[in-house]
Amino acid sequence: MGRLRRLTDSNLFVTIVWIAALVCVWEIAASYIETVKRTPENVLPHLWQIGQSVVSTKPVAGGQTALQIVLTAAAATLSRAGLGFVIGAGLGFVLALLMKLSGIVEKIAFPYLMIIQMIPILGMAPIVLGITGDIGVSRVAIAAILTFYPVAANTLAGLKSTEPEKDSLFRSYAATLPQTYVKLYIPVALPYLFTGLKIAAPLAVTASILVDTLQGDGGLGCMLSQSLKHAMSIFVFWQIVFLSAIVGVLSLNAMVWLERLVLPNERRKGKWNKASEAESAA
Amino acid sequence: MVEISVNDVGMVYSRNETVALEGVTLDVEKGEFISLLGPSGCGKTTLLRIIANLLEPTSGTVTVAGGTPEQARKNRKYGIVFQRPVLQSWRTVRKNIELPLEIMHVPPEERRARSDAMLKMIRLRNFVDAYPDELSGGMQQRVGIARALVIEPEILLMDEPFSALDEFTRERLQGDLLSIWQESKKTIVFVTHNIAEAVYLSDRVCVFSPRPGRLSAVVDVKLPRPRPPEIRDTAEFVEYVARVRGSFEGI
Repeated sequence: MGRLRRLTDSNLFVTIVWIAALVCVWEIAASYIETVKRTPENVLPHLWQIGQSVVSTKPVAGGQTALQIVLTAAAATLSRAGLGFVIGAGLGFVLALLMKLSGIVEKIAFPYLMIIQMIPILGMAPIVLGITGDIGVSRVAIAAILTFYPVAANTLAGLKSTEPEKDSLFRSYAATLPQTYVKLYIPVALPYLFTGLKIAAPLAVTASILVDTLQGDGGLGCMLSQSLKHAMSIFVFWQIVFLSAIVGVLSLNAMVWLERLVLPNERRKGKWNKASEAESAA
Repeated sequence: MVEISVNDVGMVYSRNETVALEGVTLDVEKGEFISLLGPSGCGKTTLLRIIANLLEPTSGTVTVAGGTPEQARKNRKYGIVFQRPVLQSWRTVRKNIELPLEIMHVPPEERRARSDAMLKMIRLRNFVDAYPDELSGGMQQRVGIARALVIEPEILLMDEPFSALDEFTRERLQGDLLSIWQESKKTIVFVTHNIAEAVYLSDRVCVFSPRPGRLSAVVDVKLPRPRPPEIRDTAEFVEYVARVRGSFEGI
C-alpha cells in the first residue's frame, strides 16, 4: 500500500499518466480519421507513422531525408533564437539596472516596454524584416525583443525587492554604490532574473519559428509551411511540430538547470531541516 | 567620557507632519549600556536611526564618537543589529559575518581570523558552513550580532533585536549579550518595548512616551554586575520594573 502511494505521488508517475492519456486520445482520433478521410496523414497520422518517417532513409526533397531537412532547419532557427535570447536577456538586464539606478529612466522607459510586449508578434515581424532586410537578422531581433521585456520587468522587480533593513545595513557599512549592487541588489534579483529567463526561453523559440514562415531561407517555420503546402512530405510538418514542442520544453529546462548552477543555494533549499537551538548548546 | 550626545533633537516626518520626536536631550557614556524603552510610535527607533545617520533630524544636534553621525558612520564607529537578522540567504554563516569586512577590503586571511573569533564568541563554530535557513531564529540573530561586532566598532546599536524570539531564547541571548558587553566594553544603545529586558540589561533606562515622542524619564538601574539570570526573581529587580512602568506618561 505504502509503495503504491509513493508511486502515485511521484512526479514521474504523473508524467507517465499524462503521456499515456495523450497517446490514447491521439491514436483513437487517428484511427477514426483513417476511416473517414482520404489522406489521413494530412489531418492526423498515427504516431508510429511519424516515428517511421524519422528513421526513414528515403529522400523527400533535394536528396535529403525528412530528418535531415528538419535538423538542418532546426540548427538555423535555434542558433538565431539562442543568439537573440542572449542579446535580449543582456539588454533587459542592463536596462533593469538603469531603471533601478535612475527613477527618470524608469518613468520614461517602463510604460513603453509594455507596449512593445503588446504588439502582436505577427505584426511586428514584417516590420522588423522590412527594417533589417534580412531574415536571419530578423529572427535574432524578434527573439531578442520578446526576451527583453520579461527579463527587464522581472529583474527590475527583483532589484526593488531588497528589504529596507538590508539597505540600512549597507549604508551603515558606508558601502559604495557598486558594492551595494554587487553584494546586495544583484544577488537578491537573480532568482527574479531566472523567472524572466524561464518565461522568455520558449517565447524566443516560438517567435523564431514564426518569423521563418515569412520568407524562404530555411529554418523550421519555412520548412513547416512548405510541408503544409505539400512541397515535400507532410511528415516533415509533423516532425517539426514534435521537435518544436520538445525544444520549447528543453529551453525551459535549460534555464532551470542554469539557475541551479548559478544559485546552488536554491537547489539545496528544503533538503535540510532547521537545526534546533539545543544543537548549538553542544 | 561622553560617547553619544543628543542635543534637543526633534524629528518631524514631512509626509504626514507626524512629530516623531520632540526635544530629546541625552548623553551616553563610553562603555555604558543604555536602553531606549517605550511603546510603538514613541520615537525610540527614530532616535536610534538618527544616531546611526540613517535619518537626519529636523532639529537639534547629535555627536557620535566625537564627530557628526555621518563621520561616525563613514568611519565605521558603530555596528547595528535589527529586529530581523537580515542575513543573506545565499551566503554561509561565515560569509555573512565576513560581509562588512569584504566591504572594508580587509584581506581574506584577516577576515577568516576575525570571523573565527566571532563564531567562537557566539558558539556557532559547528555551523560555520551552514546557510541561514538551516539555523533557528535565535542562532540567526546571534550571527547578526557577530556581523555587527566583527568590524570592532566602538558602539553597538540594537533595534529590538530579541523581540521576534520566544521567551526562552530571548533570556538566553540577553545573558549572551551581557557577557559579550562585559568582555568588549562597547557602548550599547538598545531599543526595546520590553520593560524587564531593559531593566535586566541596562545601566540606564530611557523611558519614551508617544504622541509626540519624547523622553519622559531616565531610570538608573543600580543592580550589581555581573547579573545572573536569577536576578529577575529578586525583590530589587521587581521594584525597578515597577518604577520604570510607573514613569510612563499618557499611555
